[in-house]
Amino acid sequence: MSALLQRGTRPAAAPPAPAGRGRRAPTGGTGRRKRENLAAYGFLAPWFVGLALITAGPLLASLYFSFTDYNLIGDYDFVGLANYERMFEDERLHSSLRVTFVYVFVSVPLQLALALALAMVLDRGVRGLALYRSVYYLPSLLGGSVAVAILWRQVFGAEGLVNQVLAVFGIQGEGWVSHPDYALSTLIVLNVWTFGAPMVIFLAGLRQIPAMYYEAAAVDGAGPLHRFWHITVPMLTPIIFFNLVLQIINAFQTFTQAFIVSGGTGGPSDSTLFYTLYLYQRGFGAFDMGYASAMAWLLLMIIGGFTAVNFLASKFWVFYGD
Amino acid sequence: MSPVNKRRARRPLALAATATALALAVTACGGGGSESEDGVVELRYSWWGSDDRHSTLQQVIDIFEAQNPDIRIVADYTDWGSYWDKLATSTAADDAPDIMMQEERYLREYGDRGALADLSQLEGLDLSKIDPLVAESGDLDGATYGIASGVNAYTILADPEAFEAAGVEMPDDTSWTWEDYIELSAEITEASGGDIVGTQSMAYNEQGFQIFARQHGERLYNEDGSLGFSEETLTAWFEMTQELLDNGGQPEASQSVEIEAGGPDQSVLATGTGAMAHFWTNQLGGLTESSGSEIELLRYPGESTAERTGMFFKPAMFYSVSAGSEHPEEAARFVDFMLNSTDAAELILSDLGLPANVDVRGSILSSLPPADERSAVFLSEVEDDIVDGNPPPPIGAGQVVEITKRVTDSMAFGDLTPEEAAQQWISEVETAIGAQ
Repeated sequence: MSALLQRGTRPAAAPPAPAGRGRRAPTGGTGRRKRENLAAYGFLAPWFVGLALITAGPLLASLYFSFTDYNLIGDYDFVGLANYERMFEDERLHSSLRVTFVYVFVSVPLQLALALALAMVLDRGVRGLALYRSVYYLPSLLGGSVAVAILWRQVFGAEGLVNQVLAVFGIQGEGWVSHPDYALSTLIVLNVWTFGAPMVIFLAGLRQIPAMYYEAAAVDGAGPLHRFWHITVPMLTPIIFFNLVLQIINAFQTFTQAFIVSGGTGGPSDSTLFYTLYLYQRGFGAFDMGYASAMAWLLLMIIGGFTAVNFLASKFWVFYGD
Repeated sequence: MSPVNKRRARRPLALAATATALALAVTACGGGGSESEDGVVELRYSWWGSDDRHSTLQQVIDIFEAQNPDIRIVADYTDWGSYWDKLATSTAADDAPDIMMQEERYLREYGDRGALADLSQLEGLDLSKIDPLVAESGDLDGATYGIASGVNAYTILADPEAFEAAGVEMPDDTSWTWEDYIELSAEITEASGGDIVGTQSMAYNEQGFQIFARQHGERLYNEDGSLGFSEETLTAWFEMTQELLDNGGQPEASQSVEIEAGGPDQSVLATGTGAMAHFWTNQLGGLTESSGSEIELLRYPGESTAERTGMFFKPAMFYSVSAGSEHPEEAARFVDFMLNSTDAAELILSDLGLPANVDVRGSILSSLPPADERSAVFLSEVEDDIVDGNPPPPIGAGQVVEITKRVTDSMAFGDLTPEEAAQQWISEVETAIGAQ
């Protein structure tokens, strides 16, 4: 019963914001706002400076370098679109795109489905919810780290934990990270495993769905499946959309896991050569920084393109309610 | 809190925020840029390596500073992988270390692009005692961009205990052929029931092929940086690996991937799962330690039966001085100390290769640990058979490591025949070194 009541609560009931009071203040209103703005900018300054120096500068520099044959060490010349033209013939670039696309389109839906499923289970008001939430969230914090990637390599190695467990059942396991047919799948599993972040967001979204919808549907005789498809999913579409956009962007930029698991090679046989890993190899392995810069801009365009398509498509399926 | 109080509280807040931002901006600019003080010249020396090396070299630096009070050396070290990222970015930022360790595959990359000083132009650097086999190994187009710190040879390491366990006799390495090596490997795997594999795959490192090509009167790279061998020779090289895969003499493809990814510590010798593996002579000490048995050094197969001998001395590493160093003369003095001082050599021993200075090499022989002493003896035994050295590899040679691994994987997993592997390797390496 308490869970049902909780569902009905909406943040709109919060007390009026302090800013509102400030606006109504009869004297010195503008002066104070100015000072408040000043304080705000003061606090934001480190980030603005960071954005300008650490992000924007290199960003623009890389755009410039993408039109040169910059090699990090010596002089460089302007080469026009040559770097971009080379991409059409670079088979390893094509294969890295293939690997990355497979990774994005398999791991993101799987990860979101798992996140939603577990969020729904937890939303039923399990005892010790806070604990479960933290436990499931943990992999999201660790998943991109070097330590976990090293652990993953051990666990899925030919002599690793997975194969030892399989051996108990008389199954002869493969070298999950060392065979080209399985290595990418192992990395996909690693990404799916980090479902905690979208799960927590789903959980928050589920709590926002007014309980009365479910009650009304139940009165009308809708089963759990109907309620899921006709209430939960439509009400949750903004959250699904948000998670989808975020996870696609993240998945395209995957680097650490592939770098560590394959020892920086993208092997075996380029089966885990992610786009960013190949970019790194070109830039720092081959000193081909002009080309690597061009690759970075292609990735930006790809991610931008997918995000744009996502936003356009969202008009047809995302339901903002009210 | 009343509005009045609030107002008063805001001012220090804004101040604090601005101060924090300023502090961050100032500290961001406050890095590097330490100049000489009281006439003491500060030099930065970069190297890669393990923790052992870091503490040894720090001791060497301490001795140098005690003898040269006008110079202070700042140690700047990291592991092999990040070393090259760091060196490339710091060089790009005009902040290269004054003295750096170089490696032959990267020497041209830096030397040809004007990032390294010509050491032959610097005073205070005595090169008269350097082993003639590697003395010119850092020379490019008439300039000396690096001086070899020491020498290594690439060869086969064998575990006598593994041979014994399989009940197979150790080969006579003064007469054995490539056929002997392949058959012997298969025999060991078979005799041990698969517990001990004959040999770790040799195709993952292009250095083995370099010896094979030299045995055929060819070479990996020519003086001008182009490829110096025929496609048939490389095909024959890959065919031997195919044969070892077929007859069980080496681990199967996915096992090899894991072994190679694990480095020397995961090699079949270290884990006691194999009888032979291809390594540099300076890795003997580490492998002896991790395997717990008296690993022996064998000459490469075919040395006595081929057209000529293929084994060679490799400059283990190079000392190089940055072209942008403000104190090249002092840097040269430090390099001279590293090369020619027995005090330094007594500490470094063979960690940077067996010392390139032949006098120093002789004087530290008795101080070497047993395994390193055996490498030293081995090197002096093969020295007479060595015909010549190799020219520095071309720009882009650093990528050959990765290409070799990938092509070998593809062949081992059955995606390429040895002939196709040879063609793909040649075409990719030619692209990498810009010879196409």
